[in-house]
Amino acid sequence: MEKNIGLYICTGCSIGDSIDVEKLGNIAKNSLKIPVVKSHFAMCGKEGVELIKNDIKNEGVNTVVIAACSPRIKYEEFDFPGCIVERSPLRELAVWTQEDPEERQLAAEDYVKMHVIKAQKGDLPEPYMMETVKTILVIGGGISGMTSALQAANAGYQVVLVEKEAQLGGFANKLYKVVPAAMGEYSEPLIVDSDIADTVKAVESNQNITVYKSAKVEKTDGQPGAYDVTISSNGNSEVVKIGSIVLAAGWRPYDATKLEHLGYGVSKDVVTNIELEGIAKNNGGRILRPSDGKEAKKVAFIQCAGQRDPNHLPYCSAMCCTTSLKQARYVTQNSDATAMILYKDIRTPGRLEYYYKAAQNDPAVMMTKGDVTSVTDAGNGNLHVEMENSLLGEKVKIEADLVVLATGVVPATADDPILNLQYKQGPGLPDLELFDGFADSNFICFQYETRRTGVYAAGCVRQPMNMSEAQEDATGAALKAIQSAEHVAAGIAVHPRAWDMTYPDPFMQRCTSCKRCTEECPFGAIDEDEKGTPFYKPGRCRRCATCMGACPERIVSFKDYHVDMIGSMMKNVSVPSDDDKPRIIVLACENDAYPAIDTAALKHMKIDSAVRIIQLRCLGSTNLVWIADALSRGVDGMLLLGCKFGENYQCHFAKGSELADYRLSKVQETLGRLQLEAERVQMIQLAIDEYDNVPRIIGDFVERVKEIGPNPFKGF
Amino acid sequence: MAEQVISPDLNFVKDIIASGGESLKKCYQCSTCTVVCNVTPDDKPFPRKEMMYAQWGMKDKLVSNPDIWLCHQCSDCTAYCPRGAKPGEVLNAVRKLSIRHVSMVPLFARIVQDPKLIWLLFAIPIALFFVFMPHKSLEFIRFDDKMVYHMFAPAEPHMYAPFVLKMIFGLTAVFSILSALTGIKRLWSGMKAQAGDVKSGGNLTGDIISSAKTIFAHSKFADCNVNRLRQWGHLLLVYSFVGLSISGIWALIYSYLFNFTGPYPFTDPMKLLSQASMLAFIAGIVIILYNRFAQAGKAGMGSYFDWIFLTIVSGIGATGILALALRLANVSAGYAAFYLHVVFVWLLLAYAPYSKFAHLFYRTTAMVFARHTNRES
Repeated sequence: MEKNIGLYICTGCSIGDSIDVEKLGNIAKNSLKIPVVKSHFAMCGKEGVELIKNDIKNEGVNTVVIAACSPRIKYEEFDFPGCIVERSPLRELAVWTQEDPEERQLAAEDYVKMHVIKAQKGDLPEPYMMETVKTILVIGGGISGMTSALQAANAGYQVVLVEKEAQLGGFANKLYKVVPAAMGEYSEPLIVDSDIADTVKAVESNQNITVYKSAKVEKTDGQPGAYDVTISSNGNSEVVKIGSIVLAAGWRPYDATKLEHLGYGVSKDVVTNIELEGIAKNNGGRILRPSDGKEAKKVAFIQCAGQRDPNHLPYCSAMCCTTSLKQARYVTQNSDATAMILYKDIRTPGRLEYYYKAAQNDPAVMMTKGDVTSVTDAGNGNLHVEMENSLLGEKVKIEADLVVLATGVVPATADDPILNLQYKQGPGLPDLELFDGFADSNFICFQYETRRTGVYAAGCVRQPMNMSEAQEDATGAALKAIQSAEHVAAGIAVHPRAWDMTYPDPFMQRCTSCKRCTEECPFGAIDEDEKGTPFYKPGRCRRCATCMGACPERIVSFKDYHVDMIGSMMKNVSVPSDDDKPRIIVLACENDAYPAIDTAALKHMKIDSAVRIIQLRCLGSTNLVWIADALSRGVDGMLLLGCKFGENYQCHFAKGSELADYRLSKVQETLGRLQLEAERVQMIQLAIDEYDNVPRIIGDFVERVKEIGPNPFKGF
Repeated sequence: MAEQVISPDLNFVKDIIASGGESLKKCYQCSTCTVVCNVTPDDKPFPRKEMMYAQWGMKDKLVSNPDIWLCHQCSDCTAYCPRGAKPGEVLNAVRKLSIRHVSMVPLFARIVQDPKLIWLLFAIPIALFFVFMPHKSLEFIRFDDKMVYHMFAPAEPHMYAPFVLKMIFGLTAVFSILSALTGIKRLWSGMKAQAGDVKSGGNLTGDIISSAKTIFAHSKFADCNVNRLRQWGHLLLVYSFVGLSISGIWALIYSYLFNFTGPYPFTDPMKLLSQASMLAFIAGIVIILYNRFAQAGKAGMGSYFDWIFLTIVSGIGATGILALALRLANVSAGYAAFYLHVVFVWLLLAYAPYSKFAHLFYRTTAMVFARHTNRES
């Protein structure tokens, strides 16, 4: 498109007082050759916006560069459909963070220049349109899956529900009683019948829901909005078109045969919590010992039977404490029976604390903390539970006639891909070992998200949880699945760039099929054809541009984001000829690092005048050519600010910052070729709440670069 | 420590709850109680572990546990308990069960401890003394137109009644002493069995003397915070009981050795002692009652077991003072007051090793034991 750029400099928020706006305007007019340059004391106000709109209408301006505040604010005011809009954050990066008036002016000039270049290099995005369906596939017919199905169906979406068992209901079917719902204190009855049958009925009678029982997902092919899911049920296979997926495949109890030290498999009277449900259910609530059928009078519950133990399940299973408190009531229905709960810690989050308190008040429910070491034969037909570090004394044996092991939750995804994705990167969800096999992600920012766009996890397959939490989870995941189907249909990305209409558009003639992109894409969006040539499934793409950073041929670009665009911005940064004044380029991730800089600016913290900051979609989009180009132009150093990565990653694209770090380790070679010190380029992990550290981190880096000395390429 | 096998006794838990320890189950073992307790030994402090034993119905661990008696129910633990588990009240309930456990005649323990038997508690002495001191005779008895309680009798000869009274009280005292000795012996051997191979100090007499010193000085009470005031109330009560006992024996000596019978003149040293004791008694009981009500929010209201004991003690005082006043006013209703006074005194004496009064014996025993086994110095 023929660009007609208009530059609008805001003089409000003390920009006009600290910067020579006239000089700025003259530079834009004379050296950047911008036809329309205007300023206003409140560009975001009605008058300012009208001014821009008027120019669009009457002056033919179609590319608007607003030199005012951060792009993270006022985006609703500065929304001009049909125009490219670029924001130059003079207020934050020049006025508020620069102390010296001269440096402030220089920074303002640089930032205007950089963003004008950016606008010149960009193009107007168009959405990626394809034929889509909005049908939601729910995998798992337990409480989570059924809730998701009902929620989505009630919101008007077609739902396909796949359940591996012959009937719906999941674990709730196996329970004798459940914990009642309560808003505050719990009162009798403390165990009630589950209403799972009603939910099953609601699902089976819902016209929007198609249920496949005794079924599994054989294959998931395609992409969000256009999945081809092969469902096999009772020997028949069927391919169903699916828009997005809720993964609610649930869990299974931990294999108790691995708990021989707790007597399982040794004594018949050692059972798991799930088995106890069966005993109660089959005997009308009476707890009968498996060995002799006598009613149990002294029942010991061993909490954390494998959980929070690095040799078994390293995590807390969240539901077993409440389950044992509930099952203790099965026992104490018999007025002369006692339930003894032996725990490491009782964990009853939220309102369940009241359930714990209610159990405490029952004289027949006895609880104590300690480490259970073994369960042995007492010699009189009963069992001895041995405990160490017990609150009852140093080492005790507790006599019980029945021992219940409160075994934990193993997610269905622990050893089964479930989805059977036909993706180059494999059939299951990647990197689940970070979450002990659960289909989880960094939960603060990414509830229900998985590393496969369009697949949202809910219930115990995501995290160990109880039934009411699972219902909440299922509702959330259903909403995410709906969003995903809708966004793909509208040709825009999903979280975290949920507004983004651009998509990767590679120049395939120059592709060498090196496959770096297929390997590095955090979302498995790139598959390969028979010849091994990569191709995109744009519906899977989250637009992080990691592929753009990975590509050695630099062929991946987005309409408003490409290698040349960012490279050109860097090339237009002023490099002071003075040896004492280094120039450093900071590449900051838009998700954490850049907002942290924004916050530091908002707090009027001062940032070293040596830096020029460029916002990236994700540090994963950093192409090494930028570093080579910038340094060969005389820039003294580059600082990459990205999200935390590793086990507790905060990267919004899961792998971006980690990949940037990995690539930087390879930059040595490039720098060596230029005979530059490797320390001139550094990556630092910065969380969004670490804004206080921004001036220090940047200041320290500038100091280090000063110590190294000026870039020898300066002035070439 | 030897490995213990635990087999909880649900009935014991229910007993504690029924005995005023209804908050027992709230304890979540944070141990704030042992931290704030000023009277516990530093090693294996109470009442945290006792709360656990109680929750788990570990009767053997509790009924013969010297620690439950080392507790003076300052109620600091109860005041600071974040969960409202009231360890002070729970230990009080456990002490009640301990008294029952070591009692020579469990029926007596039941009568004084079970609220449902309160009628029987009072019916026995009321009937007993009604037989020997019928109200009908009240109006006829005048000795030189003066009221004389000790001649108070159902029929001729006049001397019969005092003899029968003395016989009843004498036998009751023997019963009480036997009960107390049995209880002490059982408690001691129970504590010894519980303590296992704990080394004993050797000098039992010295331990008894040092315990007695602590008791008479009330120095343990001084460590209390919440029930600080009680130190003085209890001190006054103890000394008033001592004074009244001495004056009682003194009166017996007067009447048997010197044939000097009452009413005694107010100038008599024996009478002076008893009057002083009476004043101390009034002051003591007022302080104790005031403290109970004032601290009820922090320390709890106490149980039936406490209140029946306080009722008997207050009853003795009230009826005694009333009888004296009525005698001085020469109102013959004084005989009725005296009759009730005798009822209350008998209640105190007969149930001494079964009611809360038993703490005199058992706390002392526990204090001696604790010193003897170096649990306390």
